[in-house]
Amino acid sequence: MIALDCADEFGTWRGQARVLLGHGIDPAQVTWVQGPMDDLLAVPASLPEGPGPFQARIPAVLLSQLEQAARYCGEQRWSLLYEVLWRVAHGDRTAMLAGDRLGSELQRRIKQVGREAHHLHAFLRFVPLPEVLAKRLQLDLVAYHEPAHDILESASGHFAERLGRQRWLIATPRDGIRFDGKVLDYRRECPEQWREWARHGEDPGAELWRTYYRHIFNPARVNPDVMRQHMPGRFWRHLPEGDLIPRLVGQARQGKQRDGQALEVAEKGGKRISVGVDASRS
Amino acid sequence: MQLIAKLGILADAAKYDASCASSGAPKRSSRGRDGLGATDGMGICHSYTPDGRCVSLLKVLLTNFCLYDCQYCVNRRSSNVPRARFTPEEVVRLTLDFYRRNCISGLFLSSGIIRSADYTMEQLVEVARLLREEYNFRGYIHLKTIPDADPLLIEQAGRLADRLSVNIELPTEASLQRLAPEKQVRTIRQAMGTIHRGQQAVANEPRAPRFTPAGQSTQMIVGADATDDRTILGNAESLYQGFGLKRVYYSAFSPIPDSPNSVPLAAPPLLREHRLYQADFLMRGYGYKADELLTESSNLALDIDPKLAWALANRDVFPLDLNRAEPTLLARIPGIGLRSVQRLVALRRERRIRYDDLVQLRCVLDKARPFIVTSDYRPPQTDVRSGLLRARLRDSQAPVQMGLWG
Repeated sequence: MIALDCADEFGTWRGQARVLLGHGIDPAQVTWVQGPMDDLLAVPASLPEGPGPFQARIPAVLLSQLEQAARYCGEQRWSLLYEVLWRVAHGDRTAMLAGDRLGSELQRRIKQVGREAHHLHAFLRFVPLPEVLAKRLQLDLVAYHEPAHDILESASGHFAERLGRQRWLIATPRDGIRFDGKVLDYRRECPEQWREWARHGEDPGAELWRTYYRHIFNPARVNPDVMRQHMPGRFWRHLPEGDLIPRLVGQARQGKQRDGQALEVAEKGGKRISVGVDASRS
Repeated sequence: MQLIAKLGILADAAKYDASCASSGAPKRSSRGRDGLGATDGMGICHSYTPDGRCVSLLKVLLTNFCLYDCQYCVNRRSSNVPRARFTPEEVVRLTLDFYRRNCISGLFLSSGIIRSADYTMEQLVEVARLLREEYNFRGYIHLKTIPDADPLLIEQAGRLADRLSVNIELPTEASLQRLAPEKQVRTIRQAMGTIHRGQQAVANEPRAPRFTPAGQSTQMIVGADATDDRTILGNAESLYQGFGLKRVYYSAFSPIPDSPNSVPLAAPPLLREHRLYQADFLMRGYGYKADELLTESSNLALDIDPKLAWALANRDVFPLDLNRAEPTLLARIPGIGLRSVQRLVALRRERRIRYDDLVQLRCVLDKARPFIVTSDYRPPQTDVRSGLLRARLRDSQAPVQMGLWG
């Protein structure tokens, strides 16, 4: 059994996989682990030297699919990719297709990774730093996010497109990325200081967004299951509107669903408009 | 009045408009430039409210003062609601603030009618102009179009916004006359025509300035009057054909506070709305015609989806051999979506399709099984009558309105 560690980097894995393939090493004979091997029965062997005699022809599309699937964090993260690579290199292209048992898992991972990038674009929230702090740190916006897969580096360019010359920072429990208005600075290990900045507590401005969220909700249509299906609960705690959700659902269930209006508006005095009066100046 | 108080009132007033789409805009980027905002054609739902609806845009009214008295509308002049009005600068400030925070991908601005249709439209256009020209905002902008406004104003709006929409409001002219006496089908359709012509004028001119690149949409209220689904879908189909609309939104009529007697005070018909969206998607994405979907009754079935209903009514087409049938026919099999069709076609170039492949593709086999043939499977019950199949395949939830009103 060959035990390898690619430090969860695709480039490293690819180099290892190329050598393995060249030497005709069967997927059953190799495993990727982090740190010491925990399989007591396996006798670790090392990677063979040189490129090996077998020259595989790999379709370019497979390489890009493997790279995407490699961002998936989970069991067999790297060995599954080698199994797919092995089968395709030996002429079985169905290993890439969703109809195949292995291909189906590959495609599922690609889909999950894509979804998680989309979750980043959707549910990440920036907090603007107060002016003095922004000047000192050379940072306008900070965010803290917990992606389930390794997507921060590949998916963060999106924010540089959106935010122009704004300077921002995203910290996660694992990695981090910072943009100074021109260049992205990605760190596999998020500096602790970045994390502290990203969790900068005060944000009085969030109240405007929370107000909007409360009022755009239509209690007559309450349907928390559909909401949860689209916006998994694990994201709520980093959303400024997250803690409003249970309360809004509760109110709607206790009778506020009879019409669409929010309680706060119903409690205010209303105003009928008589025709002929110029309403805009009222 | 403070900005936050206005925001509460004017968001509450805007929630009855169903659309919150931010997709279909051309590629724009602010990277390395002054200003803010990007679009790439993909919509983003930045949040979901507990009604399960996506929050993609800041959806507000410029004002909920209104001279009209549309019976279904919470903002009609006789409605006893608190009123407020934003200045254009205030809307700009909110849009940019929410955008920077990554709470939204743009703005969807509508308004009550104040002073005149032209004046109201000018105000809407002014907000879009400020955003685009003074603040270099490149995010998504959707403007509601006031039907009676000057076509020149509508054209101006079309050059600034990604999407314009004119609400058709009700499915028939008679209902519009009864419930929205100040509105006219004729001017609504004229405004749609103005937008459509604006789009056509730049259609084959890649260098011309963009005109509503994300297209035109409309909204029809369902359940405020007694119109059947056949009329609704027929109307939608004619709008898709006549004005090249991108989307027709169906909005289950939601009871409003201080409700007049002319409209129902009942729970919104959410399941009916859902079936209409399904049928609409079949027309846009799968090539079904409206009259194909409604052959037996003038309303869509609530207990089964319209695709299954069509298959049950057309048993002579099935079972289809997945290894031979044309892709367009494969797409008519219940439980097999467009994406699965593509994947099946890719797979059958490599080898024969087996039953297990559908399991791997996560097709809805309970629905698909009676309608397919694979290299190792043939439905045993081809002679089972459609009525029995239907009883077995109907959605588990009861075909009555969910019990919100217990």
